[in-house]
Amino acid sequence: MSEDKNRVEGYRQQSGKLPFSRPGSGGSRKTSEPRDEDKIASIRGNGGHKHDDVVTGSAVGRPTALIDGRWKVTGQAQYGDDVRLPGELVGRIVRSKHHYARVLSIDVSAAIKLPGVVAVATGQDASGRFGVLPVTKDEHAMAQEKVRHVGDLIACVAAIDEATAREAVRLVEVEYEELEAVHDMRQGLEDSEEPIHDRGKYHIGASNVQKRVFQEFGDIEGMSANAVVSHNSNWLFAGANHGFTEPHAVVANWDPSGRLTLYTPQQVPHYVHRALADVLDIPMHQINVHRTFVGGGFGGKSDPFPHEMCAAILSRKTGSPVRINFDREEVFWVNRGRHPSRIGMNLHADSKGRLCGIETDALIDGGAFASFGHVTTYYNGVLHTAPYEIGAFHYTGARVWTNKPASGAMRGHGAVNSRCAVEVGMDDIAEQLNVDPITLRLANLLPPHSATITGFRVTSIGMRECLERVRQASGWDDKFRKLPDGHGIGIGCGFFISGSGLPIHWEPNKFPHATVHLKIDMDGGVTVHTGAAEIGQGSDTVIAQSVAEVLGLPLDMIRIRSRETDTSPVDLGSYSSRVTFMNANAAISAAMEIRQELLEAAAAATDVPVERLVIGDRRIYRKDDPAIGVSYLEALHKAQEDKGALVSSGAYRTPPMGRVHKGAGAGIAPAYSFSAYIAEVKVDIETGQTKVLKVWAAHDCGKALNPLSVKGQIIGSCHMGLGQVLSEEMKYGRNGHLINPDLLDYKIPTIHEMPEIVPIIVESNDSEGPFGAKEAGEGPLLPILPAVCNAVYDAIGIRTSELPITPDRVHRMVEARCKQEGVAPLDLSSPELHHSELQGVLEARASEHASRDAARTTDSAPSDYNNGALFGFDPEIPADEQDERWVVSVTPSSDYMESPRLAGSAWKHTERRHGGDS
Amino acid sequence: MRMPPFELHTPDSLDGALSLAGDLQQSNREFDWVAGGTDLLPNYKWHLNSKPHVISLASVPELSELSETHIGAMVRLQDLADSEAVHPLIAKVSSMIASVMIRRSGTVGGNICLDTRCFWFNQSEEWRESIEWCYKCDCGTGADCRVIPNQNTQCVATYQADLAPVLMCLGATIHLAGPSQRRSMPLTEFFELDGITRNALAPGELVTHLTLPDDVSEWRGDYQKLRQRETWDFPEAGVAVLWKSRSDGSPSDLRVATTGLESIPGFHSAEAIATLTSWNGGSSVDELAEAVRKAVKPVLNTWYPPSYRRKMVKVLTKRASSGLLEV
Repeated sequence: MSEDKNRVEGYRQQSGKLPFSRPGSGGSRKTSEPRDEDKIASIRGNGGHKHDDVVTGSAVGRPTALIDGRWKVTGQAQYGDDVRLPGELVGRIVRSKHHYARVLSIDVSAAIKLPGVVAVATGQDASGRFGVLPVTKDEHAMAQEKVRHVGDLIACVAAIDEATAREAVRLVEVEYEELEAVHDMRQGLEDSEEPIHDRGKYHIGASNVQKRVFQEFGDIEGMSANAVVSHNSNWLFAGANHGFTEPHAVVANWDPSGRLTLYTPQQVPHYVHRALADVLDIPMHQINVHRTFVGGGFGGKSDPFPHEMCAAILSRKTGSPVRINFDREEVFWVNRGRHPSRIGMNLHADSKGRLCGIETDALIDGGAFASFGHVTTYYNGVLHTAPYEIGAFHYTGARVWTNKPASGAMRGHGAVNSRCAVEVGMDDIAEQLNVDPITLRLANLLPPHSATITGFRVTSIGMRECLERVRQASGWDDKFRKLPDGHGIGIGCGFFISGSGLPIHWEPNKFPHATVHLKIDMDGGVTVHTGAAEIGQGSDTVIAQSVAEVLGLPLDMIRIRSRETDTSPVDLGSYSSRVTFMNANAAISAAMEIRQELLEAAAAATDVPVERLVIGDRRIYRKDDPAIGVSYLEALHKAQEDKGALVSSGAYRTPPMGRVHKGAGAGIAPAYSFSAYIAEVKVDIETGQTKVLKVWAAHDCGKALNPLSVKGQIIGSCHMGLGQVLSEEMKYGRNGHLINPDLLDYKIPTIHEMPEIVPIIVESNDSEGPFGAKEAGEGPLLPILPAVCNAVYDAIGIRTSELPITPDRVHRMVEARCKQEGVAPLDLSSPELHHSELQGVLEARASEHASRDAARTTDSAPSDYNNGALFGFDPEIPADEQDERWVVSVTPSSDYMESPRLAGSAWKHTERRHGGDS
Repeated sequence: MRMPPFELHTPDSLDGALSLAGDLQQSNREFDWVAGGTDLLPNYKWHLNSKPHVISLASVPELSELSETHIGAMVRLQDLADSEAVHPLIAKVSSMIASVMIRRSGTVGGNICLDTRCFWFNQSEEWRESIEWCYKCDCGTGADCRVIPNQNTQCVATYQADLAPVLMCLGATIHLAGPSQRRSMPLTEFFELDGITRNALAPGELVTHLTLPDDVSEWRGDYQKLRQRETWDFPEAGVAVLWKSRSDGSPSDLRVATTGLESIPGFHSAEAIATLTSWNGGSSVDELAEAVRKAVKPVLNTWYPPSYRRKMVKVLTKRASSGLLEV
């Protein structure tokens, strides 16, 4: 690596190309004091004038009801299905009956003759290719040649009402030639006569491998040699669906002026905007994407979807608005949920209780399309290079196409399954070392302001505080390995990106990640234009809070316009937990510009220099004599004298970061969130049923701008994660059919399954986050899975490696153990803990590291700390520059290929362009 | 999802309902009865064996009587759960059915006559077309059974209603009425082993009520239900064990019934009698549990695999019998 320590490493090395200031610093205070959230006044008091009861000047940090909440609870919010336009037609989709088939012919003549049918469209009406990632565009509005899963789109009809449209769908005759379908993801690794997609010269052999990743970092050879204990497991994770409340619904209207408006509950309107232009072959400026209220997304509404194209195609054909509403079954056909995965996880620890290596092999089942899968393939590995300092990281990942509904991004994208495997591995390592699993973690954490083994820049880290607080709140020390048989307690941690460092569609140095526009006219209200997508997570509220905070205004003077691409600046929308970090930072930038104008106007009016003025509750005044000042409106009108309405624009882009190896961009983020959960469970050893009794959930979100919604995110994440660990599963029958595409048989936990959750907010005050904030939307989901798995082990001594842990699976493992030990289920013993000498060593190291971390947190310029220091290397230099045994490699060696692991075997194929056969 | 169009009839008396049924039958017009609609209407939305005519019993007043020994077919499940008049175990079982919203609509008669279920069957029309239909709803294609292929004689869809086992054990009699006759039979004889036929109801007949013998209050017992979630889910297995006790606590009579395991509920009289005649406390309960496990033959068409459901029958039987061992 470079000898010049000051050189900017990374995907972007153009110095001087960083014109955007980095606002929203956590400020001069390096730490947040713990605070009693219950003591903080809520934003609304009692009585008084509508405006007067709003405490201003401190809009952030208070539990705040979401600003669009009343729209929802009064039924005035318009979701996708609520949009009704005059003269609209109802569209329905003709779907494939086969897993994999060539479409030989489509006969629409009977359908078009049906009275009330206005138009029928097929793949011939739109041959443009699209996909959420520019590198893997493999979707079409409707089948071009082949259908790739049951439910894949073949044609669509528009009719005067739903009954007619459904009847017309029945009348469309499709002639198929069935092809041999791939259902097992392992089969996808092999060569196939008819791969599900053809990627031309980039195709990997003749296989169904869509993406493969190989990464080796650190002391790979020493990994096993130095290990005194190892954990080896082979996991099988079922696919999961987002299970959001609102099925997809879209209305397309090609209006009289020749422009298309698409009303859709989208997390990322901008990607639909682009994809529509590609598919319809019209310029983007002729399209307005109108995001309706979104009834839950969780990643399931972040792809551009073929049914959105279909509505637009039908609207163009008919000249009328066309609405397409999904049945729940269709939601499962479009899916984009969690990948079914087979993950091999090996963890190694040395005699000092250090993690000398993590080896991960992740084969993920992508279903029929690429979706976000390129990224998911990386995330399954790179997102567990923290929070622990590790001696080596070996990752092989592969994503294969199969003839199932496509997998994609789902809350905790790509990190959830492998994180579960890592954390269960940590529990096993602690067990083998006879140490407490929390102590083991506390003695192996990366410090704040450090670089991971693959070169992620990690700024604030609240991991230690998370662990300490859940340990204390749950009474861990009195419970772990001490609860009666059948009861157990377990810990799990999480680490997640706070906004993806790379925008998907452009170079980050050419266009910002987020842009926010402000406008203030004579009335004094602030109109905020942003493309951040409010999907129920509080996006509009956090941006309003940020602007209100900077301008010293009450929240109800801020109005957010975030719905239409016509008016909002281009934005990447709501995924990768980026909105708070990126959009709030952009909003702060924009507001600071106007704040400056207001201060200057106030200075002119009062003759007090700007430096001595402060902004308070709708008033600007001299800080040492508050009697001298002007009202906000007076200052505003003064500022408007020569130019009318004040407008400003703020933008955010990530600083340069990361290393330069292939794939280095995956997983980099301007900040990372951390979390630690403890779950207490009761397992019925005779039936295998697991009941989660209570969860203590600590999450480091930097700074809780709205503690109410942070807690909501923690509790909601627990519910969603509990579904994946306990009962949610997309089940495929023996002939490959999804047998539970409905909410009776896709088992989302009910209120009865929901334990008491104790949310604990940890504030590490990120130096680049808006007011110190980081994400809280996805990271909180990660730890609940392993926490429950580890608690089940504590309860009954059964180490699961298959999710969900439905009772029949647990029972099978109980039976196996009973057979092995020759005892009845009720006589099985649960595990015990007798500390080894290492426990004291780890406690001492944890305590030493706690002081180290505290010092680095308060240090204004902490020295560099690279992963590897724990193993004796100079922390200021990456270990691979100090020791040649520390490797950095992204292609497998021939040695490795002699006995590759499961996903690693994807590398046995040669890309067609390198194989000589074009 | 949209229901296929049908004509809804709403008679306001039992006689009116029966004569309407007679008229429809005579003119060869097919129809279904609907009570609470929580079973029929979802099936209609999936286009499962829907009929052009539906007769609603909602306005028929005669079917809602409720006392210790008489349970009208139109008694809502939640009313049954809240009732202090009925045997406490009936109330308890009723409170475990589905969710409170469904119980407020669903009825006793509807629960007894619940259509059998199967994951190859309870699917949308498009979905069933993709597996080329199933025997229980073959849409005229003559499709084979998807659970057990090549046995086109019997439907093995599973009966997943909760009330029947405990009512069977309490010796309930079921009363039926049709356009031409009224008749009664023990509930244990009401069910017919086939997932399509299901029970003894003749075309045009309906269940009016159930009666219980006078000794109903002397029976004690329990019902155990296996399911993934504590609400809403149908029973993957259900076991009712009821007994009468002598003064020394030993059982003088014993009855066992199961549900959720085959196309009809199972009434295990042979196993119960064997246990009773050789009663020996705890080991007898173990033997009973094993005998019931052997007696049931679930198939792979519900959420849990059949091997697990069968093993759980043993656990549930033991748990439902635990009161037998309390002296």
